[in-house]
Amino acid sequence: MTTASLHALLILSDSALPLGSFAFSSGLESFLAHNKQRHTNSHARLTAFDAFVEQSISNIASTALPYVLTAYDDPTQLEDLDNDFDASTPCTVARRASVSQGRALLGIWERALSTSAASTAPSQNAAKECTAFALAYKSAKPDAFGLQLNGHFPPLFGAACSALGLSAEDTAYLFLLNHAKALLSAAVRASVMGPYQSQAMLASSKLQACIRACIERERGARADDAAVTVPAMDLWMGRHELLYSRIFNS
Amino acid sequence: MSNPFLTSTAKPGYGTIYLALLPPSTPRLRTASYQYPLKLVSPVPTRTAGAPAHLVHMVYLLTYGGGLVAGDSITVDVTLEPTTRLVLLTQGSTKLFKAPGRDVVSKQCMTVNLAPGSALCYLPDPVQPFRHSCFAQRQVYNVVVPGGAEQTVGNLCVLDWVCNGRPANGEKWSFHRYGSRNEIYLAHPDGKRRLLLRDNVLLDDHGLDGSIASRMSELAVLGTLILHGPLFHSLGRFFMAEFKDLPRVGGRKWDSSSESGDEDMDPATSRRAARQEQETADGLLWSAASLRGCVVVKFGSREVEGGRQWVRAMLIEEGTVAREFGDKSLLCLR
Repeated sequence: MTTASLHALLILSDSALPLGSFAFSSGLESFLAHNKQRHTNSHARLTAFDAFVEQSISNIASTALPYVLTAYDDPTQLEDLDNDFDASTPCTVARRASVSQGRALLGIWERALSTSAASTAPSQNAAKECTAFALAYKSAKPDAFGLQLNGHFPPLFGAACSALGLSAEDTAYLFLLNHAKALLSAAVRASVMGPYQSQAMLASSKLQACIRACIERERGARADDAAVTVPAMDLWMGRHELLYSRIFNS
Repeated sequence: MSNPFLTSTAKPGYGTIYLALLPPSTPRLRTASYQYPLKLVSPVPTRTAGAPAHLVHMVYLLTYGGGLVAGDSITVDVTLEPTTRLVLLTQGSTKLFKAPGRDVVSKQCMTVNLAPGSALCYLPDPVQPFRHSCFAQRQVYNVVVPGGAEQTVGNLCVLDWVCNGRPANGEKWSFHRYGSRNEIYLAHPDGKRRLLLRDNVLLDDHGLDGSIASRMSELAVLGTLILHGPLFHSLGRFFMAEFKDLPRVGGRKWDSSSESGDEDMDPATSRRAARQEQETADGLLWSAASLRGCVVVKFGSREVEGGRQWVRAMLIEEGTVAREFGDKSLLCLR
């Protein structure tokens, strides 16, 4: 790994990157509320959370990772990928989460990162496509079918990683690790566990193995084949809107 | 002399349904051809009391043995001409039998082309995958974008659901692999098309027994209902409104013990209350989303029957399906 790509990797993995990921629990809050009766003590809740993290990572890997990597490989498809991801996310809450982080990333790209693209040809190309997408998104012109760009997070993230010179391997790992970090941080705030426990889980070899297994499983998957592998996740996410009280946006 | 029984294009498991429109307004089932192991049965078309202007055709999709043996492959092509209406039904759940290995996959593939103003109502029985079965299905709905203002876009009400197998035999999501994908494309007459909606579910045990069951959190049935087109606008709105009206999760149930107020409830409200009570009893969870001109309803339930009755109760309460397609369109939900 070169120092330049390490630098970009650290920036994109930083929780200070203003994506607003901390506002989303990816269905965790809803999952906890729906299973309150079943998780009577903190131990039961921890065990359930353990399973939830793995399921959530494997679901995000199967639904979003193919879009990240396809956009990484060929950023010229960004607009098609955005449309297809929008079509494949039939859940109000998940759409809101994806679009709000995608738009934040577009903003960061335009205002901050676009001048720091790597000098290789693929990176320059990806940078060009990101900027073009940001422009097209702002014009909000519907296509021949009356559909508009939405600015979903996964394809944009893939293209931005390519523009900043990250390797495909690192991009996939970073995407899933960022998701895991958001989940664990949400777990601390939802008082499932304390901050030390959360860091221990984040650092554990179990989580690393889970992320690697998910990446291995999705290797070579096309965006067209992205599928929901944990259908209950959609139910938790969709029913987040029904919670009596909420601290997260998803 | 040519063979009068088999056309040269006939392949095992292939079926074609072509619902043509005889000018000015008489739909006619021009083609309903099929090859073993697929069988199509089409009773006499009917008019419903609610929509007497439309003749509704009905086709049963059947397979010999009531399901798919490992390696079976079914392909159905459906074409609906403008303003025609088709109800597709099954007769009992589609059983998926055990495969000798993970690489022997049974397949079902349906392509439906909907001309402007046409409508498809496809409310089948659930798919029932037995232990160690492997299955992949794909439903593609090509909705032709209307050319003029006087035409409306094609209408869809399709249900796709799967259950956990034969619980009485100790099966609980114990198949190798189950994949189901539903796609709606908007198609221009010149051939250009764009993905409007995709619902793709893949349950794979990755070689570990019981790994699917652990992901299903006690659900025994899982389904997706997709609505599209002006004919189902009010049904879509109904689902969205009912979803919004569900009791809050984690809130105190103040009304559960109070007796007062029950007398002045109107019938619809009391039916809703009864339905919500039943949802709780059946462990039924559902959510609805309105996006890109479609409404997608996802549900899961602890028992197959609970899911079946819920879908049925919702469709009957709103009334569009029975009114426009007749009571028989709900046969599989009975």
